[in-house]
Amino acid sequence: MATTTHTAMDLRAALERVVGATHVRDDAGTLLTYATDATPLERGRPDVVVFPATTGEVAGVLRVADERGVPVVPRGSGTNLSAGTVPQLGGIVLVLTRMNRLKEISAGDLVAVCEPGVRTIELARAAAAEGMLFPPDPGSHTTATIGGNVAECSGGLRALKYGVTRDYVLGVEAVLPTGEVIRSGGRLVKDVAGYDLRRLLCGSEGTLAVMTELTLRLMPAPEATGTGMAYFGDLADAARAVSRVLASGVLPVTLEFLDRVCIDAVEGYANIGLDRSAGALLIFGQDGDRASIDRDMRRMAEACEAEGATQVRIAASEAEAADVLQARRAVLPALSRLEPLTILEDATVPRSRIAEMVERIQEIARRHGLTIGTFGHAGDGNLHPTIVLDPADAAAMEQAHAAVDEIFAEAIAMDGSITGEHGVGLVKLRHLEAQLGAEHLALLRRIKAAFDPNGILNPGKLGS
Amino acid sequence: MSASSGARRGIFTEDLLDRCISCGFCLPACPTYGLTGVETSSPRGRINLMRAIETGALAEDDPTVSEEASFCLGCRACEPVCPAGVEYGALLEEWRDRVWTGRRRPLRLRALLWAVNRRARVRLMGLPRRHARGDGGGGGEGASLMLGCFERALYPQVSRAAKRLAPELRAPASQGCCGALHAHNGELERGRALASELGDRLPGTIVTTSGGCAAHLASVLGRERVKELSQWLAERDGDAPAVSGEPSRRPRIGLQDSCHLRNGLGVIEEPRALIARLGEYVELPSAAACCGAAGTYALLRPEDSARVLERHLDEIVAADLDAIVVVNPGCYRQLEQGVKRRGLRTRVVHIAELAADAL
Repeated sequence: MATTTHTAMDLRAALERVVGATHVRDDAGTLLTYATDATPLERGRPDVVVFPATTGEVAGVLRVADERGVPVVPRGSGTNLSAGTVPQLGGIVLVLTRMNRLKEISAGDLVAVCEPGVRTIELARAAAAEGMLFPPDPGSHTTATIGGNVAECSGGLRALKYGVTRDYVLGVEAVLPTGEVIRSGGRLVKDVAGYDLRRLLCGSEGTLAVMTELTLRLMPAPEATGTGMAYFGDLADAARAVSRVLASGVLPVTLEFLDRVCIDAVEGYANIGLDRSAGALLIFGQDGDRASIDRDMRRMAEACEAEGATQVRIAASEAEAADVLQARRAVLPALSRLEPLTILEDATVPRSRIAEMVERIQEIARRHGLTIGTFGHAGDGNLHPTIVLDPADAAAMEQAHAAVDEIFAEAIAMDGSITGEHGVGLVKLRHLEAQLGAEHLALLRRIKAAFDPNGILNPGKLGS
Repeated sequence: MSASSGARRGIFTEDLLDRCISCGFCLPACPTYGLTGVETSSPRGRINLMRAIETGALAEDDPTVSEEASFCLGCRACEPVCPAGVEYGALLEEWRDRVWTGRRRPLRLRALLWAVNRRARVRLMGLPRRHARGDGGGGGEGASLMLGCFERALYPQVSRAAKRLAPELRAPASQGCCGALHAHNGELERGRALASELGDRLPGTIVTTSGGCAAHLASVLGRERVKELSQWLAERDGDAPAVSGEPSRRPRIGLQDSCHLRNGLGVIEEPRALIARLGEYVELPSAAACCGAAGTYALLRPEDSARVLERHLDEIVAADLDAIVVVNPGCYRQLEQGVKRRGLRTRVVHIAELAADAL
């Protein structure tokens, strides 16, 4: 005990020398609020929380930790949904929100340069003010930091047309767990000097290095956006409409669906006039110039009608478009109000198999006596099966865990993924081998060891 | 979810505490998280602290718990952005009801609450000042004007202006305090009882010039019975507004929202529409954010309160406002002091005064 106390004192003192006493916190209340992220049920207990302001301070903290073999869990705003930022082995939570300088928006090079603690929406707004678009827009973009989005390779609603965060990372500056600072990539679209480490770090979930500066690709902003919606008797019709849309030469910016459970929950909560008798709702949209939006919206409406849509509507005004999108935005709040606990998954399948997968999920829900609403990104096959239940009901909790396991197994069997955009984190680690295989996992561990010989960075997660 | 594991101590209403899904969408809306960047000072962090004291994982007098119960402005800016519909204001009231008891309650607060705890004392506070009075001429029927407790003493001109705008309002002096101060500061039951008493004394619609009182009264008496002044005027006048400005002179006027009026009752457009008829309305970037007055906060934590106010003053300067309008007495005092401290030319004025001046 005396040794532990001595070590803790020594660690705190060493960290204070790096970042200053006011940026080191170890009171019980602070430790408790950094024990979790946005993932339900999962919690750890850090020994100390540190708030560095510069790359040099990050390097200093990592050297202190590496010398002592203390775990370090990097974190932004804590919106992670796979417990990727839960410090389940204790140690240091390294909060990067003080590093929030937006250094540059360059219209000439179409890039943004910023520190990891900038919120994604701030970056998007700054780009928009200069007539540019930063396309990745995960659901948490008002809160989440760009550093967290890069570390998790976040997706969002526009992935089919614009890709995901990985497609916008041109360069990174990162600190290795042993304290050295490296740079990979930069402002260039073409750059093949060396392994593509910036891509490796994107989605590395804080297990390889701590990113301290990001150079991100921007796009010219589209002139306008169009939005529409279509109801279908069942999800299979909606899925065929999606295939028909894509075969018609349209690459839509938005293609989202809600299943019957979600439509019912949204209408019960928000009362916005949704048709509760429908089996599926498809929301579609396009951006670009006016003429091509009109053409694409017409084609998408026709494709929906051809596949038996019971009702199709194209929003005539911004206000009407906002109404349509509200249905999609209200899904999670509506589901979350049904029961105290909401388990949000992100199993992903090839888009041709969405209807099949949703049917399987409903069958799993029936068999386990659970309520599971499924919504998500029809264009890229990224589904969000969402289980709502009372965590006090031990039997239901057991059924829920079993249902999640089965959903993952189904996704893998359909050449899909256990996670499209939320990350492996802590909660999906035990399913990773089923998807990747033992040899692949062994390679991940060797890569991890090359970056992090002492295994201090987010240990017990990816690569451990 | 810690709230579900282990026994509950009954400090918080179970349904209120369980509703938070920990998504973190409240973080950017929170002024104290904005100041510190520390999760512990955010709504999600504070709810995790509440869950910890509910299960006993932390003691309710743990220093961090006590500090955060006090550091929170109680502005409820986290509520409109919450996808799960967490009633944070109600949770905060239950929290303070528990931790600010007896000698643990700040001394200044005890004095304040004592002053407004009895109807006679409230009446006494207003006595030397000439706040509005009168029966409205409509007999026992119709709407009443709430005089407030501190407002009648500090800003009696506000109720006089309201009465000029709406002479039909009854304004009995012996109506007492609405209990918002009590409810927000650890005396939830007393706060509710005072609101009920005031509701009995002022039958029918209660019109108030204080956003904070409006939200508290509405939470006890129901939304239908309580109207903020600009909201009530809009309903009374419909398409034929009683006041409008001179077209030749269009002063630049901004608004400081009352947090509880905006976040608790959703009254957002009415004061803006009224101002827009009286001048050139300028929406400040932080109009919707707490000015730092936050009821008793400015008295209890003057330094933090002043830090919260800084960006509002910066924006008033940048917008070169002729006037900044308030709809709550606490904001009135906060902005008056800030404007004076910086020596700004901008006039701080209550919406009732602004409108009455145009009559």
